[in-house]
Amino acid sequence: MVVFDEVRKIYGPDSVGIDRLSLNIEHGEFVFLVGPSGSGKSTFIRLLIKEIDPTEGTITVGGRNLNTMRRSKVPYLRRSIGCVFQDYKLLPGRSVYDNVAYALQVTGESPRGIKRKVPEILSLVGLSEKGGRMPTELSGGEQQRVSVARAFVNHPRLLIADEPTGNLDPETSIGIMQLLYRINRTGTTVIMATHDREMVDKMQMRVIALEDGRLVRDQRQARYARADEGPVGSSPAR
Amino acid sequence: MRLRVYVAEAIRSSRANVAISVAATVTVLIAVLLLGAFIPTFLAVQSTIDDQKAKLDISVYIKDEATVQQVQGLQNNIVGLESEGLVREFSYVSKDDALAILREQLRDESVLDELASNPLPASFEVLPVDPADNAQIVGQLEGHPAVHEELGVEFEAETTNRFLDVVTIVRWVMLGLTLLLLVAAVLLIGNTIRLSIFARRREVEVMKLVGATNWFIRWPYVIEGVLCGLAGAVVAVVLLLALKLGVVDPLSDATDSGLSDDGTASISFFSLALILILAGAVVGAVGSGITLRRFLRV
Ligand SMILES: Nc1ncnc2c1ncn2[C@@H]1O[C@H](COP(=O)(O)OP(=O)(O)OP(=O)(O)O)[C@@H](O)[C@H]1O
Ligand SMILES: [Mg+2]
Repeated sequence: MVVFDEVRKIYGPDSVGIDRLSLNIEHGEFVFLVGPSGSGKSTFIRLLIKEIDPTEGTITVGGRNLNTMRRSKVPYLRRSIGCVFQDYKLLPGRSVYDNVAYALQVTGESPRGIKRKVPEILSLVGLSEKGGRMPTELSGGEQQRVSVARAFVNHPRLLIADEPTGNLDPETSIGIMQLLYRINRTGTTVIMATHDREMVDKMQMRVIALEDGRLVRDQRQARYARADEGPVGSSPAR
Repeated sequence: MRLRVYVAEAIRSSRANVAISVAATVTVLIAVLLLGAFIPTFLAVQSTIDDQKAKLDISVYIKDEATVQQVQGLQNNIVGLESEGLVREFSYVSKDDALAILREQLRDESVLDELASNPLPASFEVLPVDPADNAQIVGQLEGHPAVHEELGVEFEAETTNRFLDVVTIVRWVMLGLTLLLLVAAVLLIGNTIRLSIFARRREVEVMKLVGATNWFIRWPYVIEGVLCGLAGAVVAVVLLLALKLGVVDPLSDATDSGLSDDGTASISFFSLALILILAGAVVGAVGSGITLRRFLRV
């Protein structure tokens, strides 16, 4: 689904985003992207949606080479990838319903299709009652669920989330996490960048750890910290 | 069907950014108002100039002894100048015509009855395409055997030159005013557009992340620009109409100078309104279209 081959992203003389990163994420996987602040997680995600281009190396998403992809094709790439961000990135001044509907409108979906799909997805994220609310009238967790709904309404094969629970309390985070897990169970590949140690430990999924832009660990059914790091990695097993 | 989405988006967006929409509308309103006052003024000045030009004709006096062939030859010369593009039109004024004209001009025409014979010469009245060419035309016709020895070919060189000077000045002033108007309009619109960039940068960023194509984002804004432009232009036209009915028309009736009544030069209010409204819509569309170009490259 996602292949990075010796990818580097240099922002400036002394600012390295990603350094010689090679990895392969299969279709249907659930992957945590972890690492300290500034390790390149957001850079990885921005490369995936071609918001930025790599300085070196090749990126392939769903069989499409992003390096050679024309600018005019980028919107179609993004429609095939659902995106969730820490700051939700909802369109202000639009209701919950309209925010989700927008993702369908850009694809040219018919009004009838929109009327059918939006309530469906809103009920999936548990916001059936709040379609008419404005984003400012929602709690952070609710806004993030709208954002997930918008990312998933097109049923993309890949869903990426950059610290989706970064602004949420632990309980609300679990709700979002469960949502992403359910989405993964429908066959959608999910990549989630996070600092949430507890969550990663609980889920026991594949963990890709970055440090200073380099891959330092890629392990299946893993915890946030390396197993042999023991107590040094903090979060002692209770 | 797409169009419905775009129009709905445009209306939604102008509601969300009322202040900017109003600013854009007022900008177009001012520009169109100025343009609307300017076009008729320009045309009026132009038509006055043309009127004056028509009076700057050349009289080619014909001596009484000239034979029919000689006069025919002179006429052929003038026709030649006409085909060279120097002469716009000419007419023959016979001795009797000249007398009739004089009779009309005199208050007491009884003086003419005392004349034993008609002392006035026949003439060709030649109207040049451009009064600046008068000297050249005179040069070509002078000395023809049919031309009157004493009266010759006549035009008022001094009047013509002074008039041409005035025309030049008026032209430059008009050009200057046009440029000033254009610069002012562009600055005003540019400023409004910068405001709208600021209000919308984040929104457009998000739209692109969701996979909207540039045109999907642009169309509603272009339509919004057209709506603002139309609204501004329509209000300006209404104001101009009020101005015309309330101030200009009574005034020109009172003076009755006939300046604006010759029909050819003055523009009908209907076509003026049409031009202005069209201009408003185009300015609105181009304005928002160009604005978005800059920050659509995400
Ligand atoms: N636009 C940019 N210009 C220059 N340097 C940048 C830019 N964006 C990121 N960087 C640098 O690239 C490196 C990786 O940044 P990135 O945002 O990918 O980290 P991150 O892992 O997402 O961090 P966090 O956990 O704090 O979100 C950092 O050193 C950062 O300073
Ligand atoms: Mg980040």
